[in-house]
Amino acid sequence: MEVFEHLATGFMAAGTLENLLFCLIGTVLGTLIGVLPGIGPIPALAILLPITFGLDPLSSLIMLAGIYYGAQYGGSTTSILVNMPGEASSVVTCIEGHQMARRGRAGAALAIAALGSFFAGCVGTVFIAAFGPPLSAIAQQFNSPDYFALMLLGLVMAIVLAHGSVLKAVAMVLMGLLLGLVGTDINTGLTRYTFGLSGLWEGIDFLPLVLGLFGIVEIVRNLENPPPPRETISTRLRDLWPTRSEMKDAIPAALRGTGLGSILGILPGGGAVLASFASYTLEKKISKNPRKFGTGAVEGVAGPESANNAAAQTSFIPLLTLGIPSNPIMAIMMGAMIIQGIQPGAAVMTTRPDLFWGMVASMWIGNLMLVVINLPMIGIWVKLLSVPYRLLYPAILLFCAIGVYSTSTEPFMMVLMIVFTVFGYVLFKLGCEPAPMVLGFILGPLMEENLRRSLVISRGDPMIFINRPISATLLVATVLMLCLIIFPQFRKTREEAFQEE
Amino acid sequence: MVIKSPQDFGAGVLFILFGAIGLWVGSDLNFGSARNMGPGYFPMIICGLIVLIGLIVMAKSLALEGPPIERIQFRPIAFILLAIAAFGLLIAEVGAVISSILLIMFAAYARRQVNLVETLVFAVCTAAFVVIIFVYALGQPMPVWWGR
Repeated sequence: MEVFEHLATGFMAAGTLENLLFCLIGTVLGTLIGVLPGIGPIPALAILLPITFGLDPLSSLIMLAGIYYGAQYGGSTTSILVNMPGEASSVVTCIEGHQMARRGRAGAALAIAALGSFFAGCVGTVFIAAFGPPLSAIAQQFNSPDYFALMLLGLVMAIVLAHGSVLKAVAMVLMGLLLGLVGTDINTGLTRYTFGLSGLWEGIDFLPLVLGLFGIVEIVRNLENPPPPRETISTRLRDLWPTRSEMKDAIPAALRGTGLGSILGILPGGGAVLASFASYTLEKKISKNPRKFGTGAVEGVAGPESANNAAAQTSFIPLLTLGIPSNPIMAIMMGAMIIQGIQPGAAVMTTRPDLFWGMVASMWIGNLMLVVINLPMIGIWVKLLSVPYRLLYPAILLFCAIGVYSTSTEPFMMVLMIVFTVFGYVLFKLGCEPAPMVLGFILGPLMEENLRRSLVISRGDPMIFINRPISATLLVATVLMLCLIIFPQFRKTREEAFQEE
Repeated sequence: MVIKSPQDFGAGVLFILFGAIGLWVGSDLNFGSARNMGPGYFPMIICGLIVLIGLIVMAKSLALEGPPIERIQFRPIAFILLAIAAFGLLIAEVGAVISSILLIMFAAYARRQVNLVETLVFAVCTAAFVVIIFVYALGQPMPVWWGR
């Protein structure tokens, strides 16, 4: 079996003492930040990104992946114990998990979330190993028009899944695209939108942009509206094991969640948030006893938690095989890969098999570590919630500043970070969610290049996008998505789904 | 003219401004044609779309009720920006230790009721931690003190 050979290569690469250590550091740091209320995976990755720059590419990617699902995981702990979602994908865990905790089943909820996530992580790893190579073979068939159509679909999906107003999300994506174009035009060598600043010749730096928009604005936001103190539910270790009847409910839900999440993760625009909402809806629909939802239904924890972890893993597939990030988090991962000098895409698998398979293997190792560091040490993580915010935020701010300084000692980078902080602050006051902007920012230059190439091939005829079967299919999907947004019925469900936050 | 949704109105104005600046600054870029896209082709289309959406959002804000713009609190944002600026300007001159302490002190004053002693102790500890982790453990090129 080729898959096992590949996985063996991966485990060899990821299994070195050094890489295991970085995986552990990543998952611990990720959990640490994820547990803190109000800091989701996007700011967590942004804040910790600079730490990984000094490492070699594989170690840094392993650590970043660890941070990502660590943060994801830490978010569910906070949801269950404090009823405060650290991030959007744990919102549904909040609903059922916290109710379970209030009935004295906090330990069981945590254990189910951990085991469900671990199971989903294992399946997700196998999924990537099995589907990565065939998908990357398909990716070889992709041509410029197909890439352009795929990116368009991804952006439209990001708009559908963004919080709040659709129109504003569209504008955010477009503004992101434009910001991505700043710098030297690769085709003509002309500089665009640099305002005569030499610091912008190579484009807007990724790190000051994400740190400003997400890391620092988040701090200002919390300072302006301090989150209300909430009661923490303490749990004892011996209550950790779920009862037999809880297990009986949880296992099928976890299986369904894993399947659903694995598939939704691959789709453009898909990812952890979509998967957890979808799984929750599914569990509620097929339950024989839908009335118990909202009062601490075990399925409502097991399903979404498995789904979001499965999706978190499989959403790496489009990035690693097509070189296209499917959601803002993957956009950050892509930014990190580019900083490391790796252009994500189908070529990675053939030119750097150790990198690709090492990363896949590290996901499984990381998931195992998560279970180990989370279940027995839950008490420590809960303690972390009592660190006062007045000490926390200056430290976070310092890490942001040092992060930017350590990638470039140019004072201009600080100026850029300040500019994006102000920009992000204005967006926050105007009720605009900046996440779709990052996706646009990363995709901007890629979209322009693929549009240009497509139109050169077709000599300016836009029909090329419809004549090719792959791009035509993707465009039809895009149009369907757009119809969904406009269609009032769906719009209402979308608004309701986000209302629950 | 009555603005029914100040938040959306503001967002509309922001989009229009953003798009208009994009159109204006990019106006000297060669547009080219579909067959041979110039450097201005893609940006111009995007800026045009941003302005268009800005107009729609603004028009909607006159017709439909919406949330007001939250009051801007100057203290948090001002001190946070000041903290970053101080750090960025001074680190090359006075080194990581002092600029870290300064950043923490400025940042702490983004809140009211600061406990000066606690903050100072915390700032010194964090600065020490930063030097140990970033300079010694991770080997980041950063001056620890001044005069280098």
